[in-house]
Amino acid sequence: MLKLDNVHAAYDSVVVLRGVSLQVNQGEIVCLLGANGAGKTTTLRLISGLIHPLQGKVCLEDKPIHHLSPEAIARLGVAHVPEGRRIFPGLTVRENLILGASNRRRVNKVELTSDIKKMFEIFPDLEKLQNALGWTLSGGQQQMLAIARSLMAHPKILLMDEPSLGLGPIVVQQVFSVIKQINETMGTTVLVVEQNAVIALSVASRGYVIENGRIVLEGKASDLLNNTEVREAYLGGRRTCI
Amino acid sequence: MSTLSLIGQILFAGLAIGGVYTLVALGIVLIYRATNVVNFAQGDFTMLGAYVLFALSNGEKINFFVAFLLALVVMAVLGLLFELGVYYPLRNRSFLPVVIATIGASIMFQNGALAIFGPMPQKVRPVIYASGNGGITLGGVFFDYQYIVILVVTLALVLLQYLFFEYTVLGKKMQATSQDKDMARMLGIPVSIMIALTYIYSTVIGGLSGMLVAPIFFVTHKMGVMLGLKAFAATICGGFGDVRGAILGGLALGVIESFGAAFISTVYKDAFSLLLLLLFLLIRPQGIFGEKVAEKA
Repeated sequence: MLKLDNVHAAYDSVVVLRGVSLQVNQGEIVCLLGANGAGKTTTLRLISGLIHPLQGKVCLEDKPIHHLSPEAIARLGVAHVPEGRRIFPGLTVRENLILGASNRRRVNKVELTSDIKKMFEIFPDLEKLQNALGWTLSGGQQQMLAIARSLMAHPKILLMDEPSLGLGPIVVQQVFSVIKQINETMGTTVLVVEQNAVIALSVASRGYVIENGRIVLEGKASDLLNNTEVREAYLGGRRTCI
Repeated sequence: MSTLSLIGQILFAGLAIGGVYTLVALGIVLIYRATNVVNFAQGDFTMLGAYVLFALSNGEKINFFVAFLLALVVMAVLGLLFELGVYYPLRNRSFLPVVIATIGASIMFQNGALAIFGPMPQKVRPVIYASGNGGITLGGVFFDYQYIVILVVTLALVLLQYLFFEYTVLGKKMQATSQDKDMARMLGIPVSIMIALTYIYSTVIGGLSGMLVAPIFFVTHKMGVMLGLKAFAATICGGFGDVRGAILGGLALGVIESFGAAFISTVYKDAFSLLLLLLFLLIRPQGIFGEKVAEKA
């Protein structure tokens, strides 16, 4: 479904990605693990069209998309839940959700209302908050809203940038169980970027590890969980108890 | 004339001229919110609107009201050209080159108007052409029709704008664009169209305010300078980037100026708004409505 082929990217003169290749298949949850500054966020921004590669290709359903604008890529069905959630602070929860459907052509009122209702079924907390302004929400609520907003786009693939960032352990559990639920019930393909390797690998089917802008390791989630290198780098060193 | 009706008279005149400041200030604020750019040519849009109306209505070849509507259309086209010429080529740079480009545009507009229409001040007819003294007297206060028109138009526009931003999806998309451009793009909102619409609307209300004050002041190539400056002062006093601030600041400035002229000095009329601006910058630089809320993690 989504394929990155030997992608290089830079911000001005600082090279961030040095030949990233990865693939996400239909219906999968794939995680991209890495430390700060490894190039995880850049990879997602590149897929979304916020930056363009110096060389290499990004293909969605075998069609190259790396030369397109973010608006056009959103219309093709790529939804991005960015780092820091990026809720519109001055708009209400409901308005944020309505704007989530901006990439779809001609959505009628009835359809929009029923979609919002579906979101309130998945995220019951949001229903009570529907008229609250974005900035008044807690971090966890904002994360739920950001996910709900991206689902309003009816995405083919959902890109998630560090959904655990800044959230307490219980909320992190909730967020990831929602990701799993969305994937299973709606069939949405997910590419999630994380530093919290344990939780990400627990829901993912496959994973990649990125370091200094290169993919250094890839494999099935269960294999990565047991991989010594991954354990050392992301799972608390050599301690064997988890 | 009793003191009460004198105060009523001054208040009315102040509110009407404040309505003009409000319209110009709204243009500044909307463009600032959408693109982080202070448009220094906003005042000149009033001058352009007044001259376009003058050119179309002079000699009365076309019906005045048709000419009025046509002038608004011309302003809309000018707004789009302004956006394409001044903002669009520089959109990926920082705000500064764009601000400088607006100053350049302002100089170009003024000298262009001077070249086309000459240095002679021109006169435009008021919207309501009544025989007699051009107004009505109620309770000792004289209500000039043109001042009434200005107030009604200002109130109607403020209300329409409020309804547009609060109750339409397009309004919400424009708000989203001003709050977070990259996120708006990732949701598939055509951000460049939203920005173009903002520029068009700001140009039209700028031009409209010029068309409304034209019968009160003379139309000259410099008429937008003071108006733009005062509208800018109004936005700072109200709280920069705040729509409510622009409305309140504009009206308050008009009233203060009007009272200052009546009770202190007519000669220093223009100084009062600048004095108020200085006071605000010293005592409450964030303006009446303060700044936006901080972002949450």
